[in-house]
Amino acid sequence: MSANIMMIAVLLPVLAGVLIPFIPFKKRIWMMGYIEFMVLLTSVLTLFMLLNPPQENFVLFRFTGNLSISFRLDGLGMVFAGILASLWPLATLYSFEYMKHEGHEKYFFMFYVMTYGGTLGIALAEDILTMYFFYEMLTLVTLPLIMHTLSREAILASRTYLYYSLGGAAFAFIGMIFVLTYGTTSVFVPGGVMDMASLGDKTNLLLIIYVLCFCGFSVKAAMWPFSSWLPKAGVAPTPVTALLHAVAVVKAGAFTIIRVTYYSFGTKLLKGTWAQTVVMVLVIITIVYGCSRALKETHIKRRLAWSTVSNLSYILFGVVLMTPLGLVGALSHMVFHAVMKICSFFCAGAVMYKSGKNYVHELGGLGWKMPKVFLIFTISGFALMGVPGLCGFVSKWNLAKAAVESGTSLAYAGVAALLISALLTAIYMITISVRAFFPTKGFDDTAIRDVKDPNWMMTLPLAVFVVAMVVFGLHPQPVLRALESVASVMQ
Amino acid sequence: MAFVQNLPFISIILSLFSGPLSSILDGKKAKWLNVAVITVIGAMSAAVLGFVLETGEAYVYSMGHFPAPWGNEIRVGILEAAMALFFCVIMLLCMLGGIREREEELEDTKQNLYYIMVDLLLCSLLALIYTNDLFTAYVFVEINTISACGLIMIRQNGRTLEAATRYMIMSLLGSGLLLLGICFLYDLTGHLLMSNIQDQVAVLHENGSYHIPLQVAVGLMSVGLAIKSALFPFHAWLPDAYGYSPVSSASILSSLVSKGYIFLLVKIFYRVIGFEIAGDSRVINVLFVFGIVGMIMGSVSAIKENNIRRMIAFSSVAQIGYIYMGFGLGTTEGVVASVYHIISHAATKALLFVAASGITDASGDSTDFFDLTGAGYRNKLAGAAFTVGSLSMVGIPVFAGFISKLLFAQAGVGVESMAKMMPTLIALAISTVLNAVYFMKTVIRLYTPERKLAKKKNFRNIKMAEEPAKSFTLVCFIILNLILGLCSEPIVTLIGNGLKMFA
Amino acid sequence: MTGFLLLPVFLPALTGIFLLISSFLEHVKISRQSGTQEPVRNERAGKGLPVFVGMILVISAAAALWAAWAGDGSVTLFYMMDNIPISFRVDEMGKLFVTILSIVWVLVGVYAFVYMEHEGGEKRFFGLYLLVYGILVALDFAENLVTLYFFYEMMTLASMPLVLHNGSREAIMAALKYLFYSMCGAYLGLFGIFFLYRYCDSLTFTAGGTLNTALASGHQGILLAAVFCMLIGFGAKAGMFPLHAWLPAAHPVAPSPASAVLSSIIVKAGVLAVIRVVYYIVGPGFLRGTWVQTAWMILTLMTVFMGSLLAFREPMLKKRLAYSTVSQVSYILFGLSLLSPAGLEGALLHTVFHAFIKSALFLTAGVFVFQCGKTRVEELRGIGRQMPKTMVCYTFAALALIGIPPASGFISKWYLAQGALGADVGVFRWLGPVVLLVSALLTAGYLLLLTMQGFFPGEKYYEKTSEKQEPPMGMLLVLIAFAVLSVLPGIFPNPLISYVSRIAEILM
Repeated sequence: MSANIMMIAVLLPVLAGVLIPFIPFKKRIWMMGYIEFMVLLTSVLTLFMLLNPPQENFVLFRFTGNLSISFRLDGLGMVFAGILASLWPLATLYSFEYMKHEGHEKYFFMFYVMTYGGTLGIALAEDILTMYFFYEMLTLVTLPLIMHTLSREAILASRTYLYYSLGGAAFAFIGMIFVLTYGTTSVFVPGGVMDMASLGDKTNLLLIIYVLCFCGFSVKAAMWPFSSWLPKAGVAPTPVTALLHAVAVVKAGAFTIIRVTYYSFGTKLLKGTWAQTVVMVLVIITIVYGCSRALKETHIKRRLAWSTVSNLSYILFGVVLMTPLGLVGALSHMVFHAVMKICSFFCAGAVMYKSGKNYVHELGGLGWKMPKVFLIFTISGFALMGVPGLCGFVSKWNLAKAAVESGTSLAYAGVAALLISALLTAIYMITISVRAFFPTKGFDDTAIRDVKDPNWMMTLPLAVFVVAMVVFGLHPQPVLRALESVASVMQ
Repeated sequence: MAFVQNLPFISIILSLFSGPLSSILDGKKAKWLNVAVITVIGAMSAAVLGFVLETGEAYVYSMGHFPAPWGNEIRVGILEAAMALFFCVIMLLCMLGGIREREEELEDTKQNLYYIMVDLLLCSLLALIYTNDLFTAYVFVEINTISACGLIMIRQNGRTLEAATRYMIMSLLGSGLLLLGICFLYDLTGHLLMSNIQDQVAVLHENGSYHIPLQVAVGLMSVGLAIKSALFPFHAWLPDAYGYSPVSSASILSSLVSKGYIFLLVKIFYRVIGFEIAGDSRVINVLFVFGIVGMIMGSVSAIKENNIRRMIAFSSVAQIGYIYMGFGLGTTEGVVASVYHIISHAATKALLFVAASGITDASGDSTDFFDLTGAGYRNKLAGAAFTVGSLSMVGIPVFAGFISKLLFAQAGVGVESMAKMMPTLIALAISTVLNAVYFMKTVIRLYTPERKLAKKKNFRNIKMAEEPAKSFTLVCFIILNLILGLCSEPIVTLIGNGLKMFA
Repeated sequence: MTGFLLLPVFLPALTGIFLLISSFLEHVKISRQSGTQEPVRNERAGKGLPVFVGMILVISAAAALWAAWAGDGSVTLFYMMDNIPISFRVDEMGKLFVTILSIVWVLVGVYAFVYMEHEGGEKRFFGLYLLVYGILVALDFAENLVTLYFFYEMMTLASMPLVLHNGSREAIMAALKYLFYSMCGAYLGLFGIFFLYRYCDSLTFTAGGTLNTALASGHQGILLAAVFCMLIGFGAKAGMFPLHAWLPAAHPVAPSPASAVLSSIIVKAGVLAVIRVVYYIVGPGFLRGTWVQTAWMILTLMTVFMGSLLAFREPMLKKRLAYSTVSQVSYILFGLSLLSPAGLEGALLHTVFHAFIKSALFLTAGVFVFQCGKTRVEELRGIGRQMPKTMVCYTFAALALIGIPPASGFISKWYLAQGALGADVGVFRWLGPVVLLVSALLTAGYLLLLTMQGFFPGEKYYEKTSEKQEPPMGMLLVLIAFAVLSVLPGIFPNPLISYVSRIAEILM
């Protein structure tokens, strides 16, 4: 299979997105058709590519001698690209309906589709510079999406987002420079590119740099203390918060960290050092912190965003265990959390869209008005809690297994944090469902009289996600096998 | 001797004489003369560059064929020719970008005066680039100062006069120190021609004699040029000078004038003192420290600033800090990075100034930050250009600034001593964050929809076709920025080769 | 015929889900039409529902018993991950639990047909009732720890709506409390499972434990901590201190049949989980003489004493019974913590007896609510004159719980005390029996007070309480059945004792 297909997959959505404002669509449906077609096409291309992985790399252009923008598909990239390719068309479908009442649709979809290309670029990046390039691009392309409503709140949120992201990238940049300087090669190699023999007394320096770089990239993955942009960014339209701030963008942050940890610095260098301890402590703190903030928050989307903060650190926790098993855990949570969180966000979005309610305490009785949405929300809540039989349990199991295997007391603390977080998740998710289905007595429902379940464009993606949650939960073997084979190259 | 080899000298003379010639022309004609002169010199520099690249070595051009030590010399290498070409391009674009402002803001009688100053400025810059003689350099430094003063105060109002006076005083202080330094060197070595001084300095260094006076000389010259190029903490004159002068003055001043001095400093380090000796002295450590402090403090001041022009001016302080930090690393990679940053910053800063003028035009000529709300919608091209400039400043890949950042960082990592490596990297990161804060804040402000109140102010929408010259300039600048960002490799090699030729 | 094992799991579960969906849709429809938000008042099922549910229940129970006693079937459903199957197997312990479960469930079901007319929302209630039955059968038959955990969580989630059945704010809060305590417990259990998975040969239940001593050597510290977490965690369901607080909150608000099964069966799921972990995975040998055993004993004894004391002070009848459950289930846990055959026998006997006794007591309390809406003990003065038959049943059950011979409680307590005295547990050898005795005294105090006041309320109550208010036949028969079940095994204990001692032999 020719390597060109990678370039096409990345550039197609970018170009298709750029063109949207310039095409005079006669009717909305035509625009919808165009966008969905392009997104589907990209997804089909990507999935095709996953089935027939191109062996060679593809160089888009060169900055300087050894620095180039180039793509190569490896196992890890396949996982991320697979997540994106499966979720994007569904999310696009959902957003057609949702964006009806938001306005400026053309610009919205322009950036929405371009983001697809940017994240695919991160997934397919062959070397750290390419990844950094798309990482920065992702920041910029998603900025207008957060600003979309142009309200004061949105502007402030986008500012915060930008400062955090660019600041993070600045520190990630330092890491990149060190990898380029001290690495034996600029491309990603499983196990890292550092030549241990020649490092000598520079090891400690590299560890410092790793921590900086980790913190830099973890801004996108909303690690404490860099997490506050994510809940603020909840002012964006729901398709954005759901797809980007629960999946694409934040997972890109986690993905870059995996790359840096396993493919650049290498676990040989990092494992058992103080650097691992530092990042693990940060991650564990985030797991609990995110959940407790979620508990405190009464705005539904912000609550879910805090929940994302915590869940992303599950992934990071798996990453910083720095064992192949940990990577399997991290990747499985990456896949499964994507499904669960996008599902719960879409439910929240559907509620906001249909009823205009934003806060948990306003939800009384809506469960009976929007039964499908709230049932699905409840199921996704169960999945997030890690009820066995749904996919959240599988990833939690794998993470905990890896942590116990690694045998350090900090990892044990991490397991405890996972479970505390699961308990808090139970509290903040279930209270929403309970409130929706069991309003306080004497509740007057005239205000929500005409609220109904949304139409198929919104419910179809939800149904797909629920099925996915159950299937992955009961029969995760194929997925886990694939992830294990990805992680097995780390030995 | 090929004819091409005469061109550097001809270009200096051409620009020198076009000044007086402009004084007898009226404004319009002086303008066209100026454009023509810059274009021609640019073309000539390109030819010279081609020639030097072909021969692969620098040549010395003795005026009137008097041999050293009596005659005056011009020395042309790849770097010099490239700089001359680049300066011409930037200057041309800056002049184009400010046409309307000049015509509106300047009194009719002063139109041609402006062009005289610009011509002289170009002349002095070229001379600074090409000359091989320290005293000639000093002379043109003074000419440069005077013409720059003229450019600042051409629009006579209280603020510009004050700014020009400040600039004058600081500049003269700088020139004085430079002159002192030159005197010291002359005293020690008995030469004024750079190559001759270098030989003598090498001898002195070997003997170990006159160590301290040599240090003092280097120190004096560095500080003098640092003051003139507004290195922190000598930057007090800069925000007003850039902030209130006409747009083309501001952009030329920030992108070229200060860079001319820095280029001279590079020459002094490489050609007069010798890079190893300069590297050994503690002067560069001082430059390094002030560079880093400048990077941070400039940005901090910019964050506090509410006037967009002054904000960009403060950003210059920070960027000058980058350049000095590059020198301060004391490695060739560091200097390459600095020289690259001279280029990329010149391109970007000029772009920002011109874009800012487009933005303020659309906002009722207010430079106040809050009046810029939504200006990105009113003047789309200027908004886009400002965004590009900002992204470049922040160091986003594909834009020029990213490459400088990359080069600086690589140079920083390459340094042996940890005491320089970590501060460099951390300062780069922090500075990126700070840049992001004030530039991206502005960009977001540009794209925030204006509130209803704003209708009362005389905001207007500006279309691209309304001001073709400015639009053309902006487009050119954007393209230039992308070129610098995407095709940096030949330029970096060119700088590297040029520096090799220097020594 | 191994697949037959699945019938008692899936038949009630699927029927239950079907009923739930149909009730859900009905409610949605009503809510759409009338806009009423009162939870599930309007949904009145016809007479057909009890018949249908009863049939399913009887068939399932028969199938469960048949599957349990007709042979050692085993069936693997599917592999979840890492070669851990969701699988079921009949073993001695499972048989015992399934039998109690089925008997109690059917009887309480019959009672509920009558009782729930008064509460409404039958469809939902019976849907959940059947669903929980299926899950519990699966839980009892679970072959490995993951399967057990799977159904343990399912049970929590499915039984939660039983608690919030009446939809009042109080009920909702209680249900959430129940959920969170259970979840907290389950996650503590899960924490331990992760470690056991690492250090055990397999998570399949094997008599004597599967701990890999070679792997575990050097990691005893963390393993003990993990096991302790599991004891606390699964103990939460069994109402062991410190996670016992959900019981007194959840029981009073739930409909009485629900509190009966919660108290008699669902808390026993916690007991089962503890047994499975301690005797089938970790192995009693690993814990014997460690700080975990000591801490566990302290906790159980504390719970026993504290539960009785709180029950003694509690004026609400159902809450009092809930505290009593807290105390009594910790008898069982104390027996288990002795890690000796006699202790285990006593614990298992008490599991059986307590299930019947507590059902009887809660159902009596339900009768009081059903017939006269009285919930506080002091309101019930003279109740024995109004409902003599009910009160006789109550008294029998109470005597059994206190442990007056020859009622059943005596046998189990005897074995528990014997176990404690015979075990090598230092100071607890005599402290245990003393606490049990004191608690028995308190039990007598809090239970018999009602009998005395009920039958002999004093002069001034005679007038008010002359009217007979016996409950309908269906309820009364169930009460009598439970009263008989609480007394009879005490008189003919031998088959049961020989059965549990066989289990103890296998395990020790």
